[in-house]
Amino acid sequence: MPELIAFVLLLGITAYSTAGGVDFGAGIWDLLAGQSPRGKKARELIDHAMAPVWEMNNVWLVLSIVVVWTGFPLLFQTVFSALYAIYALALLGLILRGAFFAFRHVAGEPRTHRIADLVFGVSSVLTPFFFAASLGAIAAGDLRVFSPMTVAFGLVSLAATAFSGASFLVADARRYGATELVGYFQRRAVVAAVALIVVGTLALAAIASENPGLFKAMLAGKGLPFALATMVLTPVAAFLIWRGTFRWHRVLTVGAVGSMVFAWAFAQSPYLIPGRLTIDQAIAPTPTQVLLLVVTVVLVLVIVPAIGLLVYLDQRGALESPQS
Amino acid sequence: MIDAVEPALLPSRIQMAFTLATHVLLVPMGVAMPFLTLLMEGIGLYRKDPVALKIARRWSVVMAVQFAVGAVTGTILSFEFGILWPRMLGRFGAAFGLGFAIEGLAFFLEAIFIGVYLYGWNRLPARVHFLLGLVLPPAGVLGAASVLSANAWMNTPGGYSLQDGRVTNVDVMSALFPRALGYEFWHFLLALYLTAGFVVASVYAVAWLRGRRDHYQRLAFAVPFTVAAVLTPAQLVIGDLSARALVEDQPAKFAAMEVTWQTRDHNPEVIGGVIDDSGNVHLGISIPALDSILVGYTPNQVVRGLSTFAADSRPNTFEVNLTHLAFDVMVGLGIVGAALSAWYLWVVWRRRRLPEQRWFYRLAALAGAGSYLTVELGWITTEVGRQPWIVYNVMRVSDAVTTAPAAFIWSMLTVLVVTYALIAFFFVTLLLRLSARWRREDLGEPGAPEVGVPYGPRPRTLEG
Repeated sequence: MPELIAFVLLLGITAYSTAGGVDFGAGIWDLLAGQSPRGKKARELIDHAMAPVWEMNNVWLVLSIVVVWTGFPLLFQTVFSALYAIYALALLGLILRGAFFAFRHVAGEPRTHRIADLVFGVSSVLTPFFFAASLGAIAAGDLRVFSPMTVAFGLVSLAATAFSGASFLVADARRYGATELVGYFQRRAVVAAVALIVVGTLALAAIASENPGLFKAMLAGKGLPFALATMVLTPVAAFLIWRGTFRWHRVLTVGAVGSMVFAWAFAQSPYLIPGRLTIDQAIAPTPTQVLLLVVTVVLVLVIVPAIGLLVYLDQRGALESPQS
Repeated sequence: MIDAVEPALLPSRIQMAFTLATHVLLVPMGVAMPFLTLLMEGIGLYRKDPVALKIARRWSVVMAVQFAVGAVTGTILSFEFGILWPRMLGRFGAAFGLGFAIEGLAFFLEAIFIGVYLYGWNRLPARVHFLLGLVLPPAGVLGAASVLSANAWMNTPGGYSLQDGRVTNVDVMSALFPRALGYEFWHFLLALYLTAGFVVASVYAVAWLRGRRDHYQRLAFAVPFTVAAVLTPAQLVIGDLSARALVEDQPAKFAAMEVTWQTRDHNPEVIGGVIDDSGNVHLGISIPALDSILVGYTPNQVVRGLSTFAADSRPNTFEVNLTHLAFDVMVGLGIVGAALSAWYLWVVWRRRRLPEQRWFYRLAALAGAGSYLTVELGWITTEVGRQPWIVYNVMRVSDAVTTAPAAFIWSMLTVLVVTYALIAFFFVTLLLRLSARWRREDLGEPGAPEVGVPYGPRPRTLEG
């Protein structure tokens, strides 16, 4: 059962990385869009596409953190005692992003509007970078705040979120009839995919030098199927986007990013912190595990229909404003 | 007493107090506003009153924006457990964390259904929209109950066994339902609902004072104010029961609330006043034997004093005074609120109309801010009164605090204060802007209330 709890945690982290990643990625493209007329148009689309989802992704984050402190209290204490600075920076991004996303809808003057855009964009970089950096410090096993691993994980996360963001924005551009932006985000998705492959390879090199055991487990052990999956899915998704075959590209993008998270987690299992803390050492007493699983099952039973309803209404256009 | 503590203790306490004090202001509307909105929508549907539906729709916009702000401040709180108090969670997470696991569930439901509710106006069939909204009030209550379960656990911990500083077994039921939950839950739930009622009504009390006297204003005032007026007298009873329960559950907190120094019978009730380090109370009005009578219904009731606790196991002088004054002002404001409620209920019941005195609306306009203040004071009473414990009689705040350098926590606090001030500014600006626009709409300008709101529905295509 301890493994099941760890798996629930992994699902939470993966959901945040993929679903949250799409939103953060959109924020990164917002930052890079510039002030040209086309950039403004792109920013408008980003705003439009993101409005109803962003705050929901915090749910995955809160869920993951609750599973950590309830299910693995020792992990929580160890990680936060060492990495508080990283989490404080990630949090800062989170607050600023939320505040300035709202603010740019209120800002009247062009100048304040530009400042709001800038803060929103920069904070969209901060949060995914630092959350992933903390995973890098954990994967290294030494929990150092500044190390090749933290930087490598942070950069991979930026490339991955930029890729996810662009991939979904291609679909949004089609959906909202902004045809001239389809090509714009197609190109960006491909560039981000190439960047992701490059940074991903560099990150593997960092892992090989900092934590050879983890490297081996990723490419020859439990992480292998997922490492392979991400290596195949990323270029395939990018190729489909480039070709303009828009049927499956979003699913493949999520698959690529999700597999990456899985590859890391499976490679370091049964360790929560390689060489220091295993799942069995950190796990809470059995009754707590049972309650966590019950909550998870209820969550799935309640949330899946609820999300289904949301998607159903959204697809039917029931949540759109009538054409003006 | 102050030697060998972590240097980050002071900034950590201030930071936690600051972020919690902010978050607690968002909770009443977050938990109870869906109920008021649905009540208004229900009235609109039942009476086929388009004005009531318009009010409900506008309220739902405010509800959604404020939920988004609360989601951010709440996420920050969950990280602060790790950044500021890693040793408490490390030791007790398996027992203390249970409530939050359930809170996550409630939060999820609220996030989804607030979205559906806000976007669904006029796009879903009216009855379906209303029924989907009905998920929100119970989800809010569940969320509040689970967070209170965690707080009650800190006040009356239980349901776990410790071995070598680690929790080795957990009794889920007693950890989830600590003794203090019984009174904390009802006391806080009523506080949330009546605060939301007073706050919403206060907006329309101001409108009355400015001369607006139409059906819209009357309805938007009367519905939330009636809810608050019915609950406020009940809150006096629940509050009294809560305080009385502390006599046994947390005697040091109770002694601090009543500034009782010596254990004695015929203990006076001291209203206001401050205590000094040697236990003398200055200023304040002392009513002989009243505290004993309130506790045990007889002047002979013995009440335990602060001097019977070791100095490092009870709140210090400053904390005692803070607890005492917060408690007194909270009770005082509660009584004023109950009197205002009685005035309202009397007029409505006897005259079958709303009050017409200017003074009533002046007080009603203040009741919103007053009940926010009361919530803060109640929270100060329970949290400061528990000092120096983070887990009552089990773990001291100073044993839970982070080993991070104090300078780091001070900097983080500074950044948080600045960003929270910005958020507050944006939030208020947005509300004022919405209010101004809605007023324009009432004077004949067309448009849907949600348009231009950050979390509102999107048009089907991009403009321009």
